[in-house]
Amino acid sequence: MYVLGISCYHHDSSAALLKDGKIVAGAEEERFTRKKHDSSFPINAINYCLKNQGITINDVDYVGFYEKPLLKFERVLHQHLEMFPLSLKTFLSSIPSWMNQKLRVMRTIRKELKYKKDVLFIEHHLAHAASSFLVSPFKKSAILTVDGVGEWTTTAYGIGKDSDITLMKQIKFPHSIGLLYSAITAYLGFSVNNSEYKVMGLAPYGDMNKKTNPYYKKLQRIIDIKEDGSYRLDMSYFSFHYADRMPSKKLCKLLRGPISKRDSKMNQRHKDIAAAVQLVTEDILTKMLNHVYNVTKCENIVMAGGVALNSVYNGKILRNSPFKNIWIQPNASDGGTSIGVAVYIYNTILGKKRDYILKDAYLGPSFTNKQIKNFLDKNKINYSEFKNEKELIGKTAKLIFDNNVVGWFQYGMEWGPRALGARSILANPCNPNAQELLNTKVKHREKFRPFAPVVCKDDALKYFNCDKQLPEPTDFMLMVYPIFKEWRNKIPSVTHVDGSGRLQTIRREQNHLCYDLIKEFGKLSKTPVLINTSFNIRGEPIVCTPYDAYKCMMGTGIDYLVIDKFLIKREDNKKDMWDSEKYAKD
Amino acid sequence: MNSLKQFFSGFKKGMYDFGQNIAIIINSALLLIVYLVGIGLTSIFAKVFGKHFLETKISKKRETYWSDLNIKKKPIETYYRQF
Repeated sequence: MYVLGISCYHHDSSAALLKDGKIVAGAEEERFTRKKHDSSFPINAINYCLKNQGITINDVDYVGFYEKPLLKFERVLHQHLEMFPLSLKTFLSSIPSWMNQKLRVMRTIRKELKYKKDVLFIEHHLAHAASSFLVSPFKKSAILTVDGVGEWTTTAYGIGKDSDITLMKQIKFPHSIGLLYSAITAYLGFSVNNSEYKVMGLAPYGDMNKKTNPYYKKLQRIIDIKEDGSYRLDMSYFSFHYADRMPSKKLCKLLRGPISKRDSKMNQRHKDIAAAVQLVTEDILTKMLNHVYNVTKCENIVMAGGVALNSVYNGKILRNSPFKNIWIQPNASDGGTSIGVAVYIYNTILGKKRDYILKDAYLGPSFTNKQIKNFLDKNKINYSEFKNEKELIGKTAKLIFDNNVVGWFQYGMEWGPRALGARSILANPCNPNAQELLNTKVKHREKFRPFAPVVCKDDALKYFNCDKQLPEPTDFMLMVYPIFKEWRNKIPSVTHVDGSGRLQTIRREQNHLCYDLIKEFGKLSKTPVLINTSFNIRGEPIVCTPYDAYKCMMGTGIDYLVIDKFLIKREDNKKDMWDSEKYAKD
Repeated sequence: MNSLKQFFSGFKKGMYDFGQNIAIIINSALLLIVYLVGIGLTSIFAKVFGKHFLETKISKKRETYWSDLNIKKKPIETYYRQF
């Protein structure tokens, strides 16, 4: 039995295909269209899913959609009714897309896919909850979903047991932690639904002391937090419920300055504001998690929604709450809901037994040795071929040890926003210049942004002060932990200003090439840790195909590309394909 | 012949762009009427009678802002609905 899950028309459209209870393919539309956070109907992602299994849409038994469009439209109308006449501009700009697109989902699915059977619509936060719980290793777990907004819900909690999910309580729009974080993101001059993680990365440069950070007290004024973690925003400080800008003039006045311009230089005030919003978010989530534990009395917690990508806080959850185990899926944001829809239909609605755990994120397109060789030959690209895997590992480790930047293209593309060793840029973390080199010559991104370390699971506790039992989400780069002091100077390029690192662990059964590469690098450097950053430049989606990878390498400071068993040196292929710096966006 | 072809393809594109612009103007005018009459009148009447469409008020007296959601497994037919 095949079930296809679809999410689209907000941000990060995606499709996922389930076969007899197992997720067999999944990808975000942006990877095919090369438009970051593409929200259009994910026709390319769907076609990939079907092609992956060699089936047509007629073989699919159920198609599911990640929200109830009419409920969402009701909320939009309520916004306009409440905020008349201030909402005129957004009414004129948003209603056409509702009429032409969002309210015609069923018709689009039938027309684009030529699908004749029924389409099932699952509530947005239920899709989030299912995307995490039903593919988690837990039989029973508390569930917390926190994002910007779904239909009406912005935050929900409940419990999952076997194949059933019950969402008990909610916080409703316009009160939303996700939108609070996004409003501050916009205030700091970053793009919404994209750059929230930059604010998280900026926060440690600010004053993280609640007593001395002046903006922490100010932000507390705009939100009323109850002891059980429920909250409401003072809406006079925001304008996202009626305008296309998120902070109101009153918020600008409170934070003593206008909205920052895009790409403006960050000063200490900006850093303190970023720190303050991170602190407030952590306060709310801590109270919320303790309340959810008190209600559910369950030792396991699964989380989903965009806020569950706040890896800084994720690393503190087991210390700040009574929960003993945590699980978050690699694509916890809206893009991941297509998996949630598919598993909810199969396991919960159809009542099929759960026997699948999402153990790795390599659900996207992969390419055979022959396909890659054909691409290289056809485009007259100069390359060499490794004799075997041992040579591949040995030579690549040496290249990285010699401070070369290596593009790494293996296996299927990752599911979710993080590169996890399939479409990665790898570099030497012991090189103190690596961070600046990668930020300026390769990624063209802000200098303050740290890089993530990837380490074999069995070595993680040597370098990182993790929870005693290493949580599974570290496999998906979803937890930030302090690096032990004695290692901070030895791996400076992955050590953030506060001594932490956004850890990714890797197990050999997940990705044996990357695992062996790290171990081999460890033999050379005595430090089996690599810098792992996504294979793209700022503002571009992660590369999907060999063409994307080659193009990215040729336009950046990446020295080598290791693609399947082939090695391509940038200098051997003289002509740059494009000027990546010119195209780097927010 | 080529210049004639070029002229017609340019003319066609110009007409298309003109049509698009006209559509935007008409759509905006119609939406403006819908907004003022549909949304505006409803909103004014609602405000007169004290009805609110969004819960925005903060209450220090309340102990919690959690509200009931109660989403659980339902018959398959309910998932065919878009609401």
